[in-house]
Amino acid sequence: MPREIYLVKVGMSMTEGMVSEWFVEDGGQVKKGDLVYALETEKVNLDVDADYSGTVKHLVEVGVTLEPGDLVGYIFESGEDIPDTLAGAPASAPTETKPEPEPTAPEPVSAPVAASAPIVSGDGHIKSSPAARRLARELGVDYTRVAGSGPGGRIVEADVQAASQSDAAVPAASAEIATGPEPKASPLAKRLASERGIDIRSVKGTGPGGRIVQSDIENAAVAGVSAGAAVVSGPRAGERVPVKGMRKTIASRMHQSLQESAQLTMDMEVNMDDAVKMRNSLVEEWANEGIKPTYTDIVIKAVGKALLAHPMMNSQFLGAEIALMTEVNVGMAVALPEGLVVPVVRNVDQLSIKELAQETSRLAIAAREGALGLDDYAGGTFTVTALGMYGVDSFTPIINQPQTGIMGVNRIFDGVEWDGDKPVKTKKMNLSLTWDHRAVDGAPAAEYLVEVRNLLQSPYRLLV
Amino acid sequence: MSEHNVDVLVIGGGPGGYTAAIRASQLGLSVGLAERAELGGVCLNWGCIPTKSLLHTADVMREAMAASELGLEISKPRFNLKKVVKRSRDVAAQLSGGVSHLMRKNKITVFAGNAMFQDKNTVVVGDDTILADNIIVATGARARNLPHIQADGDRVWDARSAMTPTFMPKKLLIIGAGAIGVEFASFYNTLGAKVTLVEVMDQILPAEDSEIADLAKQSFIKQGMEVLTGTGVDEVKVAGKSLTALIGGKNRKFDAAILSVGVSGNIEDLGLEAIGVEVDRGFISVDEYQQTSVDGVYAIGDVAGVPCLAHKASHEGIIAVEGIVGEMPHPLNKERIPGCTYSHPQIASIGLSEVQAGERGEIKVGRFPLLANGKAVAVNDTEGLVKTIFDASTGALLGAHMIGPGVTEMIQGFAVAIGLETTEAELMDTIFPHPTLSEAMHESVLSAFGRTINF
Repeated sequence: MPREIYLVKVGMSMTEGMVSEWFVEDGGQVKKGDLVYALETEKVNLDVDADYSGTVKHLVEVGVTLEPGDLVGYIFESGEDIPDTLAGAPASAPTETKPEPEPTAPEPVSAPVAASAPIVSGDGHIKSSPAARRLARELGVDYTRVAGSGPGGRIVEADVQAASQSDAAVPAASAEIATGPEPKASPLAKRLASERGIDIRSVKGTGPGGRIVQSDIENAAVAGVSAGAAVVSGPRAGERVPVKGMRKTIASRMHQSLQESAQLTMDMEVNMDDAVKMRNSLVEEWANEGIKPTYTDIVIKAVGKALLAHPMMNSQFLGAEIALMTEVNVGMAVALPEGLVVPVVRNVDQLSIKELAQETSRLAIAAREGALGLDDYAGGTFTVTALGMYGVDSFTPIINQPQTGIMGVNRIFDGVEWDGDKPVKTKKMNLSLTWDHRAVDGAPAAEYLVEVRNLLQSPYRLLV
Repeated sequence: MSEHNVDVLVIGGGPGGYTAAIRASQLGLSVGLAERAELGGVCLNWGCIPTKSLLHTADVMREAMAASELGLEISKPRFNLKKVVKRSRDVAAQLSGGVSHLMRKNKITVFAGNAMFQDKNTVVVGDDTILADNIIVATGARARNLPHIQADGDRVWDARSAMTPTFMPKKLLIIGAGAIGVEFASFYNTLGAKVTLVEVMDQILPAEDSEIADLAKQSFIKQGMEVLTGTGVDEVKVAGKSLTALIGGKNRKFDAAILSVGVSGNIEDLGLEAIGVEVDRGFISVDEYQQTSVDGVYAIGDVAGVPCLAHKASHEGIIAVEGIVGEMPHPLNKERIPGCTYSHPQIASIGLSEVQAGERGEIKVGRFPLLANGKAVAVNDTEGLVKTIFDASTGALLGAHMIGPGVTEMIQGFAVAIGLETTEAELMDTIFPHPTLSEAMHESVLSAFGRTINF
């Protein structure tokens, strides 16, 4: 008897999913414990092992939306007759015999998808040095937003360094992987497109025979920067983008959050002179260890520390009662091409800035590589979201339900402090706090925001 | 007086003009071509081709002189200057006749004589008035004189005199060490003249990568030339059968001098000003599709600006014609024009020099000396280097520079690579036949990425 391969259920809320990749080709051999297919749901990607050894036969193609428990293939033991055509495609599988596999992982406590940053689709590009790109990766700076000062506007290390200091930078978006046949393109064009995260299928070739050449990629990159990614990857005008997967989840959660809670936002200006100094010295201090704290890290630390003193901000409004959380777990919004994810930094109050920087860097890399585990999403009690790298000075983040607050991190800019009658150039940043008025009134929310501001203005308190 | 109507009139029958005319004919246009001298232009009659004949004579002579190294016993070769020159002229004549044939074959009407614009669509050539929707100016360029030194055809030669010598100078001064000056230096040096090559710039072959130019200079000195860079010739006085040149404050005596200090565009006596065609520093200004400032009037080749190379001219001719018929041609990328100098050793290059490339960003440079190439050793010609320059971040081949035997034939490999936008990965992955000089190209690419095998 052939053994069935099912679409496994990951978490109780999983309603649909798909095989995003077969690791064993149709008719190929698999050993028990080896990976057989990749599951993709609206929340997670998971690689699934084979429970038996034998010959794999596919019943479904990659990318077909299925329900958990649907049959996706069989494993035939050696010596078994393998029929040429297999009955039992998922649609015709008798429902009464359909098993309900056990969840293979716990339901995430917090939604993996949330918050209010715009979804970054494909990035425009300017020339950049490899060292600059490496540094951007390390600092979590979206280097495609950095102005280049090198020859020909090339982005060099110093530019990335400067950008990371002037912006509250969050991790960069990675390239979107599109489908469809690969068009004719020069090897250099292919390499540039891949390096710059440009979907080569969206680029019009102007070389002989419509071949895509270097200049086409460069033009696409420039057009992407100036015209908002019209030429680079991502939807084009006139297209209809199906709302599914991550997009669907974001849509329903954001809408639900606004419908169900009483949220409002206030902004407060923060003097960042000392925070900038401190960060610069920490960057230098830990350079040898390859640890580079971002401004977002410092804000996360301040937000977390202030939550200890303002437990109502670290709560969940449950209707009849308000549950105060015991842990301070801060979610950080990471923009990916396919949408926003919010991995969680756990026990922020107990982490040093160094540990926090290492953890946010790990989460950001895992997010980009699609390697976040369910644990990485779980247990958030508050959220930090940054748009400063786009030059944003104020916005109204949407609360990641059922949390009570979300802190928006804005651009660091050259502002003014008054020394008597003399204006003094000072590094400034706005914080945009959205909170749930059902749980917390304006005055205590403002007190919390003042606490965060004070911590950022005396940032050395965050080191103790 | 007869009147003609054509779709395209090409003025000038050099490699740019006749190629444009043929392409226009292929695309179904009626074509006229005006030529005041020989079809084939300077290239075929007084440039590229006849000098290659002369240099081939020199190459064979050099090899014959070194024959004993190969185990051959040949008595010291002697040349017959008259025959050497005659062969060169015969070759030019043969090929010029070939162009005539091509014109007939492609039904192109050739008008002999000087062309003069009446208006932007009308040109008069002798007794003929030609009305054309589109006119392509391909009048080429001619050797420049210096304000204080003019070629006289007797003792002070321009390129034309230098390729039809009536005597072999014992001591020859060459003013200007661009490709033309260097080729003549190589020819005359091999045939026994004591050559003094003077260049006002800091390196000979100023258009080439400085490392390659320096290797060439060393080689020329080893072959017995005197090479003076960063030096000007302040005065040349001809007296009877010799001349005196003031070089670096000293008067030096020579039997002849060759003036090879570049070319200037043939923009005069065409009526260009009358119809409003803009010129800039002696060349006609054009856009990327070779269109001049006057609608329907195009310019290609030397007259449309540097680099003055036949293959650039013919390429521009095709761009102009395809633009005329609305076939969106690809504008010429001047960084992808190969350049060749047929001296001994030969020099060939394409793209950016190391210095130019370095100014744009991080680069990787590969070098492979022919000394480590098996074929070069076997054929007793190991003097040379293949140098490749890559963009360190993208792996794009930015430039290739070669000096040594056969490099003028090999550069096309890199030209194709650059044209197809290959990166180092494809070049490394390409199989080069063994044993060939071209293996040095492969090794040079490997060397740029620290992977060279044989050095």
